[in-house]
Amino acid sequence: MAQETRIIENTWDLTAYQWKIESDALDLFVKGLKDKKILGRKCPQCGTVYVPGPTYCRKCFRDIDQVVEVSQEGALDAFTVNLADVKGTIVEHPYITCTVKLDGTHSFLMGVLEGWTDWRSIKEGMRVKAVWKDVTQGALADLSHFQLTEK
Amino acid sequence: MKRNVAIISVGYNGRFVSKRPDINIPELIQPAVDTAIGKTKLKHDQIEAYVVGNMHTFEGINQPHLWASDHFGGSKKPVMRVATGGSTGASVYQAAYYHVASGMYDVVMAIGWEKHDEGDAQVGLMGILLPEAFSLFNFGPDMSEDRGVAGLGGGGSTGGAAFQAMSYLTKAHAGIEHIDRVAAMMRSNAAKNPYAHLQQPGCTEADIAKTPIISYPLRYGHTCPTSCGAIAMILVSEEKAKKFGITDRVAWVKGLGSGASDATTGNIIEGQITDPAEQYMCKVVAKKVYSMAGIKDPRKDIQVAEVYSGFSHQDLMWPERLGLVDEGKSPEMLDKGAFAIDGELPLNPSGGVTSTNAIGASAMVRVGEAALQVMGLAEGGHQVQRKIENVVAHGWGGLFQFVTVTVLGRTPVKK
Ligand SMILES: [Zn+2]
Repeated sequence: MAQETRIIENTWDLTAYQWKIESDALDLFVKGLKDKKILGRKCPQCGTVYVPGPTYCRKCFRDIDQVVEVSQEGALDAFTVNLADVKGTIVEHPYITCTVKLDGTHSFLMGVLEGWTDWRSIKEGMRVKAVWKDVTQGALADLSHFQLTEK
Repeated sequence: MKRNVAIISVGYNGRFVSKRPDINIPELIQPAVDTAIGKTKLKHDQIEAYVVGNMHTFEGINQPHLWASDHFGGSKKPVMRVATGGSTGASVYQAAYYHVASGMYDVVMAIGWEKHDEGDAQVGLMGILLPEAFSLFNFGPDMSEDRGVAGLGGGGSTGGAAFQAMSYLTKAHAGIEHIDRVAAMMRSNAAKNPYAHLQQPGCTEADIAKTPIISYPLRYGHTCPTSCGAIAMILVSEEKAKKFGITDRVAWVKGLGSGASDATTGNIIEGQITDPAEQYMCKVVAKKVYSMAGIKDPRKDIQVAEVYSGFSHQDLMWPERLGLVDEGKSPEMLDKGAFAIDGELPLNPSGGVTSTNAIGASAMVRVGEAALQVMGLAEGGHQVQRKIENVVAHGWGGLFQFVTVTVLGRTPVKK
């Protein structure tokens, strides 16, 4: 049986989506970003520091209202190297997404990794620091990327 | 649980393949049902209830059980559909188990399937990604170049798999070559299983290493196919098994359980990203299931493992998290041949999920394959030859945060 393929053309209005999911965690987080601060929440019971901070502790199931500013430096955790763009074209400078554990925190932040020359030499545990956009506006994009501070 | 339950029969529709344009969903399911019933002395009308399931949205068809019921024999009988994403097959099987263990029914059929060629798995995953992505738009993510897309790292499990693989490799002090090696072993195991999809006899590490990187450290050769196929299993009470005179070649359900951890990489909206390679709940559930099964030392008492690995690094990770191998020691076990069909802990003799993945069936195929190993009925050379007392079957779903574990054995747990 021959393969039949049909193409149906249509438009998709992405702006039609107007729902907003309330996220106290991200509201607090982006507010801090405007002042180039990284804010999280600390559980007064078990001491776990979450960034961005949920409003309750995942371990103790109690509300957390203690806001803490955390270090802008930390250790690289997992990462993945994208050698091509979304269309599959090989890129000259691979795009690396990473998770970072900032000093004194117990959860991970996701971001873009820069400051490397050969991606093959990147190892989990390497030191990184947050790098900001020149102009911050209270958005996730204010935190430009994480920069490797060791080779 | 009140009553012992046995799996008395396992049937596939045929070999799992990429495309079946010649048939529709009911026609895909029916041969699996007939095969499972045909291996017993039962008649279709002796099945008292059905639990069925497939992955929602992947086929582009809503509620397929509504029009498939007549074809699997569900008309005028209790039919329950269960859809829990990647773990669907295991959830269907567990629901069927509870139907019998509770005392409500004596003979129940569990069916899991996926007909991937009717839809687009990627479109299905977009349904998971989009609510997350749209919500993030409210918080001003960087949408320049590819950053917006990659920054999400979510959209079902695929986004987080690369992070999990990297995290696992670091913890286990292993390299991408170990993922290549285990991937090759699964494809060559699949060649010994007449029902497996990607059968590559003698597949080597070098064959896998030739495939392109998708998102480092994962290659094309480390990922599962999208398959079309169905599996049906018959579960009966101990009482009925005795009445039917079939207590010999059956697999007893000795322990089972499921659990949920925090969502992993996709959970930025909730404010927390956890390490997808930690798998705390898998450890907790496995422990609970072993104790239910009366297993004191899983390394001694369990002879075979069928784990659910949509990505090859998971074939190394799950045996550790299931307590079958020391943390970080799977690469070493692999290198010394322990995971081979004739090794000390045969891992996925069937070829696993990286060789065959009809999603709604996959987690049940793990249980079905475990049952076949216990019964000694695995076909085509993938039957483990040494004596088997217990086999563990595992499944996962969501962003790796849902886990199911089952132990099947040759003798029932005494009540
Ligand atoms: Zn706490």
